[in-house]
Amino acid sequence: MTATRTDNRKKNRLTAMVLFTVAGSMVGLAFAAVPLYKLFCQVTGFGGTPRIAAQAPAAAPTDRTITVRFDANVNPALPWRFEPKKTQVTVRAGEPTVAYYRATNWSDAPVTGTATFNVTPFKAGEYFSKIDCFCFTEQRLEAGEEVAMGVEFFVDPEIFNDPNTQDVTAITLSYTFYPAAKGKGKKGGKPRQAKAKQAKSLGPVSVAGRPVKG
Amino acid sequence: MMQRLTILAPMTALSFFGAAGNAFAGGRSEPWQMWFQPAASPVMERIIEFHNLLFVIEVSIVTLVLGLMCYIIVRFNAKANPVPTKTTHNTLLEVVWTGVPLLILMVIAVPSLNLLYYADRIENIEMTLKVTGNQWFWTYSYPDHGGFEFDSVIVPDDELKEGQPRLLTVDNEVVLPVETNIRLLFTSSDVIHNWAVPSLGLKLDTVAGRINENWMRINKEGDYYGMCSELCGINHGFMPIHVKAVSKADFAEWVETARKEFAGAGGPAPVRVAETGAR
Amino acid sequence: MMADQETAVAGGHDGGHDGGHGHHPTGWRRWLFSTNHKDIGTMYIVLSLVAALVGGAMSFWIRLELLDPGIQFNVFGAGEEAAYFQFYNVLVTGHAFIMVFFVVMPALIGGFGNWFVPLMIGAPDMAFPRMNNVSFWLLAAALVLLLVAAFTQGGPGTGWTIYPPLSNADFHPGAAVDLGILSLHLAGASSVLGAINLITTIFNMRAPGMTIHRMPLFCWSILVTAFLLLMAIPVLAGGLTMLLTDRNFGTAFFDAARGGDPVLWQHIFWFFGHPEVYIIIIPAFGIVSQVVSTFSRKPIFGYLGMVYAMVFIGFVGFVVWAHHMYTAGLDVDTRAYFISASLVIAVPTGIKIFSWLATMWGGSIDFRVPMMFACGFIFLFVMGGVTGVALANAGMDIAFHDTYFVVAHFHYVMAIAAVFGMFTGFYYWIGKMCGRQYPRVLARIHFWSFFIGVNVVFFPQHFSGMAGMPRRIPDYPDNYWGWNYVSSIGAFITTASTLLFFFIVWRTLTAGEKVPANQWGEGATTLEWTVESPAPFHTFEELPDMTDKQADE
Ligand SMILES: [Cu+2]
Repeated sequence: MTATRTDNRKKNRLTAMVLFTVAGSMVGLAFAAVPLYKLFCQVTGFGGTPRIAAQAPAAAPTDRTITVRFDANVNPALPWRFEPKKTQVTVRAGEPTVAYYRATNWSDAPVTGTATFNVTPFKAGEYFSKIDCFCFTEQRLEAGEEVAMGVEFFVDPEIFNDPNTQDVTAITLSYTFYPAAKGKGKKGGKPRQAKAKQAKSLGPVSVAGRPVKG
Repeated sequence: MMQRLTILAPMTALSFFGAAGNAFAGGRSEPWQMWFQPAASPVMERIIEFHNLLFVIEVSIVTLVLGLMCYIIVRFNAKANPVPTKTTHNTLLEVVWTGVPLLILMVIAVPSLNLLYYADRIENIEMTLKVTGNQWFWTYSYPDHGGFEFDSVIVPDDELKEGQPRLLTVDNEVVLPVETNIRLLFTSSDVIHNWAVPSLGLKLDTVAGRINENWMRINKEGDYYGMCSELCGINHGFMPIHVKAVSKADFAEWVETARKEFAGAGGPAPVRVAETGAR
Repeated sequence: MMADQETAVAGGHDGGHDGGHGHHPTGWRRWLFSTNHKDIGTMYIVLSLVAALVGGAMSFWIRLELLDPGIQFNVFGAGEEAAYFQFYNVLVTGHAFIMVFFVVMPALIGGFGNWFVPLMIGAPDMAFPRMNNVSFWLLAAALVLLLVAAFTQGGPGTGWTIYPPLSNADFHPGAAVDLGILSLHLAGASSVLGAINLITTIFNMRAPGMTIHRMPLFCWSILVTAFLLLMAIPVLAGGLTMLLTDRNFGTAFFDAARGGDPVLWQHIFWFFGHPEVYIIIIPAFGIVSQVVSTFSRKPIFGYLGMVYAMVFIGFVGFVVWAHHMYTAGLDVDTRAYFISASLVIAVPTGIKIFSWLATMWGGSIDFRVPMMFACGFIFLFVMGGVTGVALANAGMDIAFHDTYFVVAHFHYVMAIAAVFGMFTGFYYWIGKMCGRQYPRVLARIHFWSFFIGVNVVFFPQHFSGMAGMPRRIPDYPDNYWGWNYVSSIGAFITTASTLLFFFIVWRTLTAGEKVPANQWGEGATTLEWTVESPAPFHTFEELPDMTDKQADE
């Protein structure tokens, strides 16, 4: 009798250890979901996450065109005015295009901002690639300063071959500017900054700076 | 920000029954309404159509189960059936009640997916409306009409005019043309809100830091009401939506006045730009 | 079997008169330091009853507020609408948390699970009696913390879904949400420990011959539930921790401004949240199965189908979470997948319903109060189930999401159904737990008044919802008045009925007639009916041998 009880106790302890491990790994899974979700979005364009491309596609641009619309938002905590220079452009799929936004710091102190972004419809996310973007880095504007911020992108011609995106005639690219977090935005800034080093820096440029293409 | 009213007794509420029959019946719920608001958009028409199918299935299942239970209660109570059977298996029966529901689900899934993809396709868009949720009002902007924008705030109960529905009336309703495919962009300046208009078959979250997209087409002129449909804090119940659908000509006319009326109304930014004299 | 008889009295009474069995503590020590599965089960049930008063009062307040258009009960005074609206949101939030974590789960899993899993499988106690004690007191602490949170700096008015940014430090700056998170952490730890205990008990401590496929369905339901707890709660804990560090330590998991994503929270929350609804309802499946079989005087029909339907529901429950997020802005293909997966759940639930009916079919049914509640459960569950099939369709859900239709749906399918499961279990087992029978006539009145009450509350909410009335609002456009008024009348009936139940509990404990070991007769075949009533403090110190017994099926 006592022997079986001890056996039982051992067995129970083993079972419990296994179960604790299961519970522990589920906690781990919850945390793992953070980078995995981000990666998943970037790889699949989920939620309208645009792709980031190091350079323009090798293939020649097609003749089929698609409209790209620009949307701009500013978090109320950021004393900026921010808007696209043009509401929309029509581009040939596969052709890299540069578009500009205009940002003005209307406060009387220098302010640093950082932008989030996505495209709609979501299903177009995987076909929309940015080569360079002001959103890859934080942007600092002096008091009263107005700058043009550039984004270089192209639309993958594959979008015309996906049965799911046949109805897409316009893609909207949206940005929301937030005040850059204290501590240099250590959490969110990382992947973008890493990416920005690879790409040639394009924004911000002063208004008088680069000529505007397209 | 809200001046809320005194308690309304049930009798006061009863008096609203008579006031329901205004010119644009259908854009909001009626007293004692038990069904959807009449559809005013192709998506809502299809939602109702699909629901009619679902409803038949739902009622049939409930009736079947209820019928069986009633029969069991009458036939197999201890008095009526003193000796229980010993049956615990019937393979055929078990296959049937697994298989038939599967078939029913397929009957549901096909139109369901059709509806889903129909509502998702954004084709031949003629204009864009951008909706921004704020604690606790909506901001509407018209990027294709010069980008003017305005806020739409609830009218407090004590400032309502004759015929204006309580908790649904706003100071600036969002005016849109009928028979026009409209792209809708949604975002938020703070917490998550949800822009919902039942009769137009619309409901989508506004999330800060990203946009959501949807589309609509309003079939006929009228007033269509909705309410914020995602808990967004203290005044969540007090940020209504009022869509005023007008003819295309009237819309063009309205745009002209609105552009003037709301010029520079987009927050402090435009004013300040002028002040600081951007380069 | 032990000679001395002790009472494990439900209802907070100290079962004082110790029958000379000296080695366990008496008085308050018996409860505070309890390692006895029956005593701990009793404490869970008491905690559930206490929490039910609080959570029920909150829902009654909500219904009173919605009885008429306008604001009825601004206890903060004119000009303090904002404080009252926040308070209303706290009521909505608190009602959900309390009912889910402190009423239904403690009663079904902690209470009946603790009491009857060891009895039904012929085990002397739980595998880890001291851990069992810790589980209970963690939960008690969690309840206290949650109530403190509700009265701290405006309280957490986030809804039970705690969506950021509303729940982050910008929009809920006080300590309320932090305290709420800590409360959920404690409740979660309690649940995980409880789950580990139950699984270990069921796996390792079954009496000889009690093979896993002979195990009563209630034990199966608790086993499946415990696995769901084990896998779902840690995910919530992870998410809550992230939210807590976002709020206090500058991380940005869910903060869009700093590269996080608020929608990720929704995924994490509902990855927990959907299994959570099965955690609530599956134990009720188990109880109803026992009761239907007992009172039909027939073994359960399609035992294996019933078992694997529950297992299947548990598995699929983990891959359907985003059907709560159809209007959050998800890719269309994602929604298409979640439609299909969610619809599939209708199949195993259908199997369960038809198997219950088939168990009754051909039976010689004694419609005692537990059986009445079990039948009520089946009806309510079917009602909520069919609207669930409608809601699973993302295209359709545009019309229903965040309306009272959803409120009606989930109250039918899991909230009220689970409460019916609780009442089923209570009336079925109270004789075993305290040795006394409930007052029959009052119990019947309780059934009918409660059944009518909840239907009057929730059925009209389908109409309000279809007409477009949103959830979680303290006031509504006047045209929604009618069905809200009816619904609130139902709340009066339900509240009266609930008070009657508390009276019944008191009457049972003080004046109920004594019951024999097996009060239900030949239909009651599970092991708990072989020990005397009330069940002695120690049972099955010599394990019952089940090897001769015919398999249940
Ligand atoms: Cu809102």
